[in-house]
Amino acid sequence: MTLSRVAACEPLGPYVQVRLERTFDPGEAGQFHMLRALAHDSFLARPLSAVAVDDHGVTFLCQPRGPALAALANVGAEVEVLGPFGRGFDSASAGSAPLLVGGGFGAALLAPLSRSLPAAVLLAAFRDAEASRAAELVPAAEREIALPPANLLDLLGARLAGSSSVFAAGPDGLVRAVAGACAAAGVPCQVALEAPMACGYGACYGCAVRLGGELVRLCVEGPVVSGERLAAA
Amino acid sequence: MSSDLATRVGALELEHPVMNASGTLDPLAARVAGLAIDAELALVVTKTVTPLAREGNEAPRVCEVAGGMLNSIGLPNPGLEAFAESVLPAVRALGRALVVSIGGFEHADYELAGRRLDGVPGVAALELNVSCPNVRSGCISIGSDAAETEAVVRACRAATGLPLWVKLSPNVADLAAIARAAERGGADALVLTNTLRGLAIDHWSLEPLLGGVSGGLSGPALKPVALAAVHTCRAACSLPLVGVGGIASGWDALEFLAAGASAVQVGSAAFREPLLARRVRTELATLLAQRGLPGIGALKTTTLD
Repeated sequence: MTLSRVAACEPLGPYVQVRLERTFDPGEAGQFHMLRALAHDSFLARPLSAVAVDDHGVTFLCQPRGPALAALANVGAEVEVLGPFGRGFDSASAGSAPLLVGGGFGAALLAPLSRSLPAAVLLAAFRDAEASRAAELVPAAEREIALPPANLLDLLGARLAGSSSVFAAGPDGLVRAVAGACAAAGVPCQVALEAPMACGYGACYGCAVRLGGELVRLCVEGPVVSGERLAAA
Repeated sequence: MSSDLATRVGALELEHPVMNASGTLDPLAARVAGLAIDAELALVVTKTVTPLAREGNEAPRVCEVAGGMLNSIGLPNPGLEAFAESVLPAVRALGRALVVSIGGFEHADYELAGRRLDGVPGVAALELNVSCPNVRSGCISIGSDAAETEAVVRACRAATGLPLWVKLSPNVADLAAIARAAERGGADALVLTNTLRGLAIDHWSLEPLLGGVSGGLSGPALKPVALAAVHTCRAACSLPLVGVGGIASGWDALEFLAAGASAVQVGSAAFREPLLARRVRTELATLLAQRGLPGIGALKTTTLD
């Protein structure tokens, strides 16, 4: 466990970018940390994935729902950090035409991955223009943003045949649909899943999800999992 | 002066009194995450194993509440045989003696586990989980009834020479009667307590927040309940007691020892602080030394007997 401090907070649409002093290993794209602001003294830490890393700071996008997350979004706040935990994205097999597919808050989790895939195209869906600001964090060679009533899966369908791989993050229903479409099209797919978890290191079994016919702990076998395996669930 | 933290639970001698609570540590997964938690524990207590594999309850399975958390995990495990063949040897290889938590739905389940694990190297004791609030039958319905508790312990006792620790629930009307029943059945120690049944409602949907509807409350809110349980059972029977429930510091551990426990287990507070057991041990040694007590035995003698 490492102690860090919130160096900066910057609103981004309905979210807050929380930049922590880099006192800890920032991990790989798609891994996560367990964060707990000492001032609030919440009982459990919260799992969050970094959206940007530089020499001095690690930035997390925070959706300040509830007091434990709101307490993180304060400049100067002392924060306990555990991690990095879990398995992140494997970008080595991305190929020449990778697609990044994101939805809502989760789209921002594709940001660290996108920096290692300069040719990537971003497809992202949001409930409104404010929420779509999460996509600003994700650099991409090309981008298509779907706002209601547009359908992200239609955008994906138009691009899938020409893509070498798909990396998805966002709401559970969305990423499962993306995994299903990729499995049907035979395009390799990796998906970042989310689940409430108490520990982050395999102890509590809170984050178990069904994958390929069995229940697995997302913090151990994920949060990034094979889309094929998810589609087979 | 330095204080000796050595203690014993029945015939089992321990280097210090701090172990993990069942279901709050997978020492192998923790090692993969870079956390050598097992090395901080006097004994490693396994997650409850049942005769057949279980997947556990629907998600969401955990949530934070005032004073702690609720869990509705539902005893996911690979089943007794797969556990004995693959999990147990791998955990044992870490070098700590194990307490294997066993659960079930009828007497024969506990008997079966007792027989299967009898004489297996590395197993120091069995912890009979008759108190999980998150399964629809068995477990807590056994541990809520004195006659059932006695019968289950007796059946397991006949099947194994291992020390039998019986983990009881605070969700009962007469804990003392259950404790005495476990003692009559042949228990070697009691573990006090499992979680309290609780409910959380989602503020948006106004539906139960957990997939399993209700869950077990753990954390600081459970501590006074667990302390009272230790105190009650100390008076009710002569079995050694292991205290568990809301322990997050040396002070908490000291309270359980003062109430009559011989050892303690740390559980959900270690979710946010994986190496909590080390801090509890260190703080406990300091607290004993500050009182001029040479060891845990002296604490019990001076304060309660």
